[in-house]
Amino acid sequence: MNQQDKKIKTVVVVGGGIAGWLTAGRLAAHHKSNTPDGLNVVLVESPNVPIIGVGEGTWPTMRSTLIALGISETDFIRECEASFKQGAKFAKWVDGSNDDFYYHPLVLPQGFSKTDMAGHWLNNTAEPASFSNAVCYQEAICEQGLAPKTIRTPEYAAIANYAYHLDSAKFAVFLQKHCTQQLGVKHILADVMQVNSANNGDIASVTTKQQGEISGDLFVDCTGFSSLLLGEHYKVPFKPCDDVLFIDTALAVQVPYDNEDESIASHTISTAQEAGWIWDIGLQHRRGVGYVYSSKYSSEAQAREKLKAYVGDKIESLTVRKIPIKSGHRSHFWQNNCVAVGLSAGFLEPLEASALVLVEMSAQMISEQLPHTRDIMDITAKRFNETFTYRWEKIIDFLKLHYILSNRDDNAFWRDNRDPKTIPQSLQDLMKLWQYRAPADHDFTSNNEVFPAASYQYVLYGMGFKSDYSTTAYMLKDNVFAKSQFDKNKSMINQAVTNLPSNRELLNKIKRHGFSAI
Amino acid sequence: MENLVALEQSAHQHIKIDTQKAQSHAKNLNMIPVVMVELSQIAVQQPIVFAKNSETGEFTLNALLGFEQHENLFYQQSQWQGVYLPLQLQRQPFFVGDTHAQQTQYPVCINLNSPAVVDNSAQSENNLEPIYTQSAEESGYFKQIKQCLGHLLQGELDNKKLIAALLKYDLLQPLSLEVTFENNQKTKLNGLYTINQDKLAQLNSEQITLLHQSALLPAIYTVVTSLGQIYPLIERKNAVLNLADD
Repeated sequence: MNQQDKKIKTVVVVGGGIAGWLTAGRLAAHHKSNTPDGLNVVLVESPNVPIIGVGEGTWPTMRSTLIALGISETDFIRECEASFKQGAKFAKWVDGSNDDFYYHPLVLPQGFSKTDMAGHWLNNTAEPASFSNAVCYQEAICEQGLAPKTIRTPEYAAIANYAYHLDSAKFAVFLQKHCTQQLGVKHILADVMQVNSANNGDIASVTTKQQGEISGDLFVDCTGFSSLLLGEHYKVPFKPCDDVLFIDTALAVQVPYDNEDESIASHTISTAQEAGWIWDIGLQHRRGVGYVYSSKYSSEAQAREKLKAYVGDKIESLTVRKIPIKSGHRSHFWQNNCVAVGLSAGFLEPLEASALVLVEMSAQMISEQLPHTRDIMDITAKRFNETFTYRWEKIIDFLKLHYILSNRDDNAFWRDNRDPKTIPQSLQDLMKLWQYRAPADHDFTSNNEVFPAASYQYVLYGMGFKSDYSTTAYMLKDNVFAKSQFDKNKSMINQAVTNLPSNRELLNKIKRHGFSAI
Repeated sequence: MENLVALEQSAHQHIKIDTQKAQSHAKNLNMIPVVMVELSQIAVQQPIVFAKNSETGEFTLNALLGFEQHENLFYQQSQWQGVYLPLQLQRQPFFVGDTHAQQTQYPVCINLNSPAVVDNSAQSENNLEPIYTQSAEESGYFKQIKQCLGHLLQGELDNKKLIAALLKYDLLQPLSLEVTFENNQKTKLNGLYTINQDKLAQLNSEQITLLHQSALLPAIYTVVTSLGQIYPLIERKNAVLNLADD
């Protein structure tokens, strides 16, 4: 058998963070690694390299990922300190005043698929001033600290669409246990010392310090920022995007709750600052807070001051971790028989929690489209590279959108963000189209879209952008239907706030009773 | 509001219970909890369905009494209309209190705010039952109540066993019920569950034997059979609607 017909029997995942375990788990679950004829999935992890916990925010996709892995939601919530996330609240992004905020919820606008609700809202002064409040009941749920479901809702089912906040260190341990005990992933603790090439340039094996040589047919690089296989071995260039997204540093801190009844926000809170923004993520046992900023526009001392002003004096007794951020991604992700997932592929500021969702999407595509033989792999690689290059670019556009609509003028950071030279042409084009109409599904033609048109609407109109319908008033003749949808949303708000428990209350109940599967 | 106090002969010697008014506790219930021991009696008059406790999300076993919130088609003209009175109604207005660690017996409590409680009544009516006899002994009626409370206590454990087995064998499924009444009024019942008969049929002989040995098999089939009572329940609703239309 020549090398090109070689069957793909063993996948070696290098690196044991969340990216590594999610990819190994997805592969093992899909290809039945816990059966004798299933795929061999081996995860090699250094016993010495600490895990960087990227992002504690997820997307609703995490629910499908956990289901695909055969994980019980109750176990996950109990063991990973997880809480519910129903989108993001952006505070002080528009003008920095105290009552300046808008929501990017996870539920689509009411009536979104049937008519141009955004257009009707823009031209209807009777409806609430907040776009998301006018068309979606989730802002009200979040403002009241309510959960997206009740203890009677089955596992993974939702009353309001939701994702999670999770403790990434605990999640990695949880995934490891599940992958090794249930899914048949082989776990090897060893340091990779050397990458060994085959004649065709593929990786034949890796040599480890403790466990000798480990060979495989496909290698997944989950080695974090070091990008050991794709970056170091294959020298695939890194494409920075710091000319578009300026953030280059994070100061992160874990803030304990004052008492065990303190309410847990059921959304990510992102509060704009003079040179960046502060994330605030409520887990069961603590909050994760961090200031991501651009060191070009703020000194570390200034940044620490801002973080202290946000967290309060108790920060003095807490450990603040400084993490450098290199915004950008590799020029491609799959080279020969090696594909990078997670930080080894790239990283962007966590404004829309894109890190874990990219890991999930990569893991899903690799496992669902795993080439059967080596000679097919180049086709899969090409498709993977096209798909993910597109996705990274779209995410960069969407993150930039949050900055270009701000009116903040307190620092050159914000002014420079609005400089057209820093705005990708693709985003500038979209903004021109949306001068006269709302973002619509047909603006996003790929079936690999990361953010739907609704997300663009929530950000655009949340930030006060006005699409001008003055010459196309005939587009807004659906008033009666639009009104019925606005009214329906109001009644759904009433229903939701009467019936849903608080986020904390539901999490406590899950700890005591758990969800049932049906 | 309920006013639950531990029952004491000295304090409650003169209280009598109006047993018909005790039934009024079911007035606004569209479901009433039932226990395994009474399933065959329930099954001849109401559909038996599973629902989830709103506080814990745990499955409960119930007789379905109506289609709307607060609608009890088995409570009309100020009394219970069925031939069999569920234990949960029989025991009204008495409750089992919480046990404390050092106690071996469950204290019996009474809801003094129940409309069934008649204090120091001079008149002797048909429906009035004393708790204590004149010689301060427990009355026959009260002995029956205590037996009923005992059944309910044991029943809770039986129900737990049944539900655990059903979950273990994946035998529960959501019951989606869309009903159109004679006047074309439609209703949709959510949050109810029943036995998955396909899965039940697929159990292997070992599993069936285990269910049989733990005395759960009759209960499972009784629940399945009782679903037919949906039709008489719809008829009851139609009758009520026709009355309203006339």
